[in-house]
Amino acid sequence: MSILDLENLSIDFPTSKGVVHAVTGVTLSVEKGRRVGFIGESGSGKTTTALAAMRMLAAPGFVSGGEIRLNALDHPNVLDLSDEEMRQVRLSKIAYIPQGAMNSLNPIMRIEHQIWDGIVAHEGGVSEAELKRRSNAALEGVGLDPKIVARLYPHELSGGMKQRVCIAIGTCLDPHLIIADEPTSALDVITQRHVMQTLREAQARIGAGLILIGHDMGLMTQSVDEIAVLKKGELVEYGPTQQIIETPQHPYTKELISSVPLVGGASFLDPAPATPAEGEHGDDPLLELRGVSKVYGNVTALHPMSFRLDGATPQIISIVGQSGSGKSTMGSLMLGFNPPSTGEVLFKGRDVYTQSAAEKLAFRKDVQAVFQDPYACFNPFYRVNHALKFPFERFGLSKGADHTRTAMEEACIAVGLAPETVLDRYPHQLSGGQRQRLIVARALMLSPKLLIADEPVSMVDASLRATILKNIHDLKDQHGISILYITHDLATAYHVSDYVMVLYKGHVVEAGPPKEVIGDPQHAYTRLLIDSIPWPELDRDWGSYESARAALDRLAEIETRPETVYRGEVPGFALSQG
Amino acid sequence: MSQDLRPAPADTAAAPETAAPDATGLTAAQIKRMKRFDNPWFNPKLIWGAGLLLGIVALGILGRLFWDTDLVFTGAGMPRQGPVGVENIRGQVGTWAHPLGTDVSGKDILALLIVGAPNTLYVGVLASLIGMSIGIFLGFSAGFIGGRTDDVIRVGSDVMITIPPLLILVVVQAAFGDITLTLMAMLIACFVWQSPTRLIRAQVLSMRESGYVQMARLSGASTGHIMFREMLPNLVPYLFGSFIANVTTSIVTAVGLEVLGLGPQRVPTLGRVIYDAINSGALIQNLWWWWGAPTILLAVMFIGLLLINLGLDEVSNPRLRRL
Repeated sequence: MSILDLENLSIDFPTSKGVVHAVTGVTLSVEKGRRVGFIGESGSGKTTTALAAMRMLAAPGFVSGGEIRLNALDHPNVLDLSDEEMRQVRLSKIAYIPQGAMNSLNPIMRIEHQIWDGIVAHEGGVSEAELKRRSNAALEGVGLDPKIVARLYPHELSGGMKQRVCIAIGTCLDPHLIIADEPTSALDVITQRHVMQTLREAQARIGAGLILIGHDMGLMTQSVDEIAVLKKGELVEYGPTQQIIETPQHPYTKELISSVPLVGGASFLDPAPATPAEGEHGDDPLLELRGVSKVYGNVTALHPMSFRLDGATPQIISIVGQSGSGKSTMGSLMLGFNPPSTGEVLFKGRDVYTQSAAEKLAFRKDVQAVFQDPYACFNPFYRVNHALKFPFERFGLSKGADHTRTAMEEACIAVGLAPETVLDRYPHQLSGGQRQRLIVARALMLSPKLLIADEPVSMVDASLRATILKNIHDLKDQHGISILYITHDLATAYHVSDYVMVLYKGHVVEAGPPKEVIGDPQHAYTRLLIDSIPWPELDRDWGSYESARAALDRLAEIETRPETVYRGEVPGFALSQG
Repeated sequence: MSQDLRPAPADTAAAPETAAPDATGLTAAQIKRMKRFDNPWFNPKLIWGAGLLLGIVALGILGRLFWDTDLVFTGAGMPRQGPVGVENIRGQVGTWAHPLGTDVSGKDILALLIVGAPNTLYVGVLASLIGMSIGIFLGFSAGFIGGRTDDVIRVGSDVMITIPPLLILVVVQAAFGDITLTLMAMLIACFVWQSPTRLIRAQVLSMRESGYVQMARLSGASTGHIMFREMLPNLVPYLFGSFIANVTTSIVTAVGLEVLGLGPQRVPTLGRVIYDAINSGALIQNLWWWWGAPTILLAVMFIGLLLINLGLDEVSNPRLRRL
């Protein structure tokens, strides 16, 4: 018998612009012990649907039609329950594991007290010894040592541990259904694998149904039994994981699956043009780092490293690493935003941090960037063309208003945007993908010598990632711009780059051409990263809970003795540690 | 794995990221209420507040055109006259010659209001303008330059906030004797720059790291450009709110000083009228129109400012708007 049935569920949000039908006519059921994945892009209604089952819709949303039946109850229709009855159902029958564990735990309560809270609220006066026994069991169930963790405060735990505490809270009353809302989106891939395995194990142990909400097809493939694909509030495809992955029916599902780039396999890029554009020729290398390091207080973000990029033939150099690996620090060092603690950053033989005002302007023109967050990159006060027009005029590239306008239009067309529909709009009227493409168009207009792309696609919906990466790749091939591509995503680095550096805690642990480094990793850390990526392929298994656990232990081992594995050279780029 | 190699087709309009809103099934009244929020400035509180303040300005302008402002001088009419149709203690009934009555020395109350109300507003607006200018300058300096400059400005404004302004002003004004409206506004301005300084400093600090400021730096923008072209426009709602709050504070301070008899001696202001009324025993003689009329006008002024402030809050924070 199923645990939860949604029947023809519709959810509306009245807004100042009219009623938004966030969810329309969704019908599905979750069986006991089964894992169902809700996948879709931001705004597709996946979280809204799941929250409706807990009657926790954000105001002013309301269920405008259909039924939600939780079959564990005497009166299964959730919508008919009183608020007090609903309160009793939450956590004991349906548990919710939130997205940002860092913000979901009370910062001033010890971990065990937070678990007790839920037990006491549902079962009343339970003796402290009993509470202690149960919270310890719950913590053990998620692989945390209660002797250490139970008495700690949330800020003393890492992100992955906090998320596992949230799982412990969610499973401590043996609910019939667990709703996990992107439980790993804020974690790096290695921790993600461990947390997901923990969640799967805890769910299997208590035999609950699981709804996993996410946008990553790979994660879904590795974690759930059935997949529900949502688009704009409608259920477009629903079926067993194998069927969805192997024979997707709906074009949107196909798009979602193909948007996950794979290591190996066909590239999503055009074959290189016969005559690639020429780069910058000069006596001095385009960019050179000499013994650069960065220290914040007593944390070393980047250990001393040197490299030189000739730039004679444009190249894409990828810097790959997890959050905290120092990759973004490297980006801001090279942009001249953040002076290094030791060493010097040279652009065409001149120190970036000791330039005169005129040199600085020339440097700014030659070195441009694409940042991670396309939503923040436009000043909300101006129309988006301000971001393109201002630097163009500032760098003296413009020959008049008409010339600026044509240049902007050409750049838009080059990145696949229709100029008349985007240029005269305000940023909030454009989607994230459109904005990020405009930023690429901006870089194209200014034709810099070097482009620093800091996680350019990590905040863009999956279906647009390939397009934007292709736009960036074209900058190299067709416009001769050398690119430093900073990312956490090994698969895209594999396809776009000429040379890859893997960064771990400020050390380069492995470096070389992508076919070697990512296709056949030698360093333990690189291997760990690649093993931890959830692939949207059923025959590439993610491994067991034990292997994920062992991976974390290995990571701790690497931390003590970082060493660099060099995997071959490419002409025009030289790297050395120290 | 196949991938479309052509660039994705240009999205036609702004691609909605959620399902498009739908206005079917709503009553006409609901739609009308929703429409009201299309333009956030078309806010009832803002309109009412602005209307009340403009009313006071209009009183000043129209009054000067249609009423004789020379009636503010002593002996302009019979003393202690009530408003139209009101009998005073001597049994005299007020006439249209002095619609709001006269005071103990025969000054026409209407003329006093016509001259005094804009004066009070002027002091408030001028003090607030000066205070805001100082605040913008110091707030930007502190937030942008940082380091020692920031320390000095931050500590300075924090210390100044703890000093009760009325205490200092009473001493200063008493020492000055008779002062002009402008000088009074400047003195009050010394006590209203602290909160805009802190507000702007905080906003600048958070904005300095924002993506569009980084973009502007990448575009080779000068510091001045970043401050005034990129950051300042986004501060406008905050500046407006802070400005209106400061006008209120300044008027309260000014009226407080005037009622103590420390304001300008030769120029009528609303506070000065109340001071005279209290001093001449208007309360005992039941000359309620003398202190009542300026009090009502002050109340209207404060309600207007409050409504503008509430309205501005809703403009800058859409969550406060209710359907």
